[in-house]
This record gives sequence, C-alpha cells and structure tokens, in this order.
Amino acid sequence: MTAPIALTCGEPAGIGPELAARARAELGAACQFFWIGDPRHLPAGTAYAEIAAPEDTGAVPPCTLPVLRQDFPNPAVPGQPDPANAPGVIRAIETGVALVQSGQAAALCTAPINKKALIDGAGFPYPGHTEFLAALAGVDRVVMMLASEQLRVVPATIHIPLSEVPHHLTSELLRDTIRITATDLRHRFALDHPRIAVAGLNPHAGEGGAMGQEEITWIADLIAKYDDPDLTLTGPHPADTLFHAAARARYDAAIAMYHDQALIPIKTLDFDRGVNVTLGLPFIRTSPDHGTAFDIAGKGIATPTSLIEALRMAQRMADAA
Amino acid sequence: MQKPRIGIIPGDPSGIGPELVAKLLAQDEVVEGADVLLIGDDHVFAAGAKVAGETLPLSPLDARDCDWNAAERFALHIMETIDAKDIEMAQVTKSGGASVLSTLDEALRLAQDGVIDGFMFAPFNKASMHMAGLGHDDELHYMAERLGVTEYISELNTLDGMWTSRVTSHIPLREVADVISEERVHEAVFLIDKVLRRSGLARPRISVAALNPHAGDNGNFGNEEIDILTPAVQKLAETQMAVDGPWPSDTVFLKAVAKEIDAVVTMYHDQGQIALKLLGFDRGVTVQGGLSIPVTTPAHGTAFDIAGQGIAEAGATRAAYDILCDMVTNWDKVDVA
Repeated sequence: MTAPIALTCGEPAGIGPELAARARAELGAACQFFWIGDPRHLPAGTAYAEIAAPEDTGAVPPCTLPVLRQDFPNPAVPGQPDPANAPGVIRAIETGVALVQSGQAAALCTAPINKKALIDGAGFPYPGHTEFLAALAGVDRVVMMLASEQLRVVPATIHIPLSEVPHHLTSELLRDTIRITATDLRHRFALDHPRIAVAGLNPHAGEGGAMGQEEITWIADLIAKYDDPDLTLTGPHPADTLFHAAARARYDAAIAMYHDQALIPIKTLDFDRGVNVTLGLPFIRTSPDHGTAFDIAGKGIATPTSLIEALRMAQRMADAA
Repeated sequence: MQKPRIGIIPGDPSGIGPELVAKLLAQDEVVEGADVLLIGDDHVFAAGAKVAGETLPLSPLDARDCDWNAAERFALHIMETIDAKDIEMAQVTKSGGASVLSTLDEALRLAQDGVIDGFMFAPFNKASMHMAGLGHDDELHYMAERLGVTEYISELNTLDGMWTSRVTSHIPLREVADVISEERVHEAVFLIDKVLRRSGLARPRISVAALNPHAGDNGNFGNEEIDILTPAVQKLAETQMAVDGPWPSDTVFLKAVAKEIDAVVTMYHDQGQIALKLLGFDRGVTVQGGLSIPVTTPAHGTAFDIAGQGIAEAGATRAAYDILCDMVTNWDKVDVA
C-alpha cells in the first residue's frame, strides 16, 4: 500500500475547499488523498473525518473526506480573502511539503492560492506557488510541465511578454529545461529512455535562417551536441506540425519555447483535463490548471475536473516511482 | 443559373497534386455542381489518374476559342509545360517548378480574361519554384503582382468552418511585437471579414487573439493588449462588425471549435497554425486573401514521402474546391467597399 496524496487547501476563500469535497465524492477510494485545512472552510454538510496522521487515510469511508486538521483564525467568506488566514495558507503548504518529504505522503497536490492575499496578509515574498515550493525544497530551478492523456509539454519560458522571449531563452535555460525534463520523465514517469522533441522558436523553425536565426545560431547545435545516452532528443521542429496525433506519437514530452506555444496545443486538445506538474523538485507535485475563481467560489458550480485529473496524475506518478 | 466556372491546375507534377485532382474529379457531385476546366499538360493529369486508379476522360481544347463549359464532365485547357520524361517523382526539380509557374500564369490570365471565375491549385513545391526563377517570397505575392493587386494581401487558413488570418506571418518571432499595430490589426480583420462574406457568411463573427500569455494579464506580461489590441478591437466593434477580443490565445480556438465564432485573427504564424494543424493536420485549406479573384488550395504540401503511391488523401482538396465554389457564387453579391 503506497502512501496517500497530500492535498493542500489553497486559498480558503476560493474554490479549493469545495473542489476537494467534490473530488473525494467522485474519486472515492480509487485515488487516496487527504486534505490539509480547516474543516470550517468546507461547504456545509460535507462528510469529512479528521485523521491523526496520513496513514489513517485508508481507514476513512470512501465518500468521506479525510482531513488532516489545521485550524485557521477565521472562517472563510467566498470571494473575499481574509488577511488573517494568509499565514494558514502558507502553513498548509509547508505541512504538505514536510509530509511528502518524510514519505508519509506519496505526492503533493496543491489547490490554487491568491498571491495578493498572501502578500497582504503574510508578506509572502515569492513570485508564486512553485517558487515557494522550490525554496522549501532547496532547489534552484524547476520547470512546469502541462500534462494530459494526450500530451506532455514543457514551456521553457512562461509568464513574460512575447517580445522578451528571445532574450530570456538562453542556452543555459534550454539545457536545464531539457535536463530536468529528461530526469523526471525517467524518475516520475518510468520512461527509462525518454524521447523529447524540442520546438523551434520561429515559424517553420526558422526555415534555414529565412525566418529567424536562433535555430541555426545555437538551438540546433545545442540539441545535436546534448550529451545523454539515455535520451532521444530531436529538434528544433516546426511548432505547427509538432502537435498533431502522428507527431505526438513520436515523443514522450515536447519542449516549447514560450507559454502559448505549449498552452495552445494542450488546451485545444484537452481543455479542462490538462494539469500542471512541477518537475525538478525532490518530490511529486501536481496542481489543477485554474485559479482561485473568486467570482464563483461558494456557489457550488466550479467543476472539479482539473483537480481530479491532478490527483490522478499524482497517483500515476507515485505508482511509477 | 450559370454554374461556377472553376479552373484547376495540377500543382507540382513530382508531388501528389495530379493524383489529388484525379481523386477529386472522380466524385460525381464535384463535376455536377460546377463547370470545371483543367489547365495543364494532358500527360500530367493522366499520370495522376493512373496513380489514383481512376479514369479521367480528357478532351483537350483551347478554352479561349470555344464554349468549353459545354463539356460533359470537365474540359482540359491543353498546355505543354513539361516533358513527361523530365518528371522525377518526389524530387525538387527546376522543370517541376517551371511547369507550376506556367500553369499558374495561364490560370491567372484565364481568370483575368473572364474565361474562368476562379481557380484551385494542387500543391506547389516552393523550392522547385525558386529553382525555376520565382523571385517572390511565396505564390501569393507572385499572384498579387501578376494581377496588379496593391492592397493588403494575406494567406487565410480554414478547417471545418473555422478560419484564421494573421497579422504577421513568415517573420522571426523577435520581430513580431514590433510589427503589431492598430492599422495591421484592422487590415487583417477587414480582410477576413471580406473573404468570409464572399464565401457566404452574412455577418462573420471574428475574435482577435492576444499577443501575450493570458492576454498580458492586465499588463503584467506585456502591454500590447492595453496599448494596441484593445483600442483596435473597440474601434472595429463600433462599426457594424461582429468582432471582439483580444482573447488569450490558448482558449480562443475552443470558441471556434464550439462554433461560437467563425474566425480568429492571430498575431503570429504559429499561434493559428498550431491549433489548425493539431485539429486537422491534412484537412486544412488555404485561401489566398486579398486577390481580385478567388483562389484556394489544400494547405498541405507536395508530400514527396508518399508521392506516386496512390495513398494521398483528397479531403483537403475537396474542401478547397468547395470553398472556391462558395466564393465564386457569392463573390459579386457582397459589398466590399
């Protein structure tokens, strides 16, 4: 019996708590996870059971949410983050990391946080959730993978203006992205000899320099000389022909050069089934591909699809380890 | 009512073009809905028919000298552009490129002379055309010059009723942001609106894609949405056009898949092409937007890897043909002033 997955509460004023309850109702015992948070933040009437430790998760009935209780100062008002609750959001993440690092949890799945609420309430000094996790784990560089049944894709640059992509995209960054992706495909996805396809930056991958120089000045060379006997690395491929079904069959993960080069294919293929996987951490971490959704929080209309997929992905990765 | 008079040229004789033409013309409803004029060498079309395993009854004539549309199934405007012995299947050749330029020139002249209403071309090979002396970046710019078109032109791509145009095309990614301007966005929107109305849509619903991730996230990941795209779209929306945006480009194509909109105006090449090719790799159609006559082609290439084997799929060719017929039928009904 593998250890259960730790699911953090995320921002209590967002849709995290209600989705946790719905995910348990839909998944039952098929995917064992426990929720770290304050039971008062769950929707009224949620069936839950407090557990003393993660190992007790398996003893909880399938339709009851196992809760590793962490008290917050205040109840949650949907859509209105409470600064007094901000330190609790951070502490739940720290607890999750400690449990997954000690092996009591097999993987960490995180519900969305609201960065502004954490800055206002707790002086949160990190650019985002992922950077906080990297700091807790003591690693310098992590990469974001978007994964669904049909595609795994890793954007080398993420939340920057398109005009800045060519400046941020350095050989060091691309090499680190390839290395971390290859390592975690082996360790987290049980692919002993992974195949990674790298997209070009420019249309038609530059077409021999006619539509951009980066491919011929350094990207092609980096790929050709990349030294890893247990990796099949190809590219730079024209991005527009990299994501149809026949092309996807030729690699285990694609590396994209910028956000939308990765997000357009995954959303168009699997709109709400893509999940985020953080690679490069010393533990498994997945998260749903949505935010706190303050506008619909507490109304019971948020769909748990992405959280369920994130939990399932964490389970598959834990089983592959 | 007169049927659309459709010209068809076979594309590069070394590729799958002639095979696709034979497969297209083997479909009864294709030849029943329009008057079709093949333009090119009889042996090229015959070779395509042989590869396709179809019979293609060819009755050569000079379309300028006779009532060609009286032909039973279709007519052949006979040309001599290449020797049969010079055709090397699946090869980039100067002779193949020269054949393409000759048939293309003749199709343009026939359209200008009013012999045909528009034409479809089977795939060209750009490298062959450049070997044969094509000095333009692509066939669209070549055709525009031949036709004396000086207005804005752009390739439009379409798949299953979803259309895309792009504000920038075959330029390095690092130059994209500098080229985006209100004026360019307006040109791209006007063009796709015009072409869609000319293909039979009374009021095309058009969404403009953002440039930056999350549409710039209120300026956190880029300012072009605030400075350029939002004002550009607002000005268009104040006219009678059904245009909105800028939308994050990772979800805007889902609106088109769901048929909530007809077209997406994209900011750069791969933004639209990734989505279209992923949804239908070999079924897309390219419309040569901005020309004075309707011209369409399947979006895929000469497919040298399967040329001569008889296994090429003619779905995109059929779609290109159908769109061309719609455009010819509606071309003069639309006020494009």
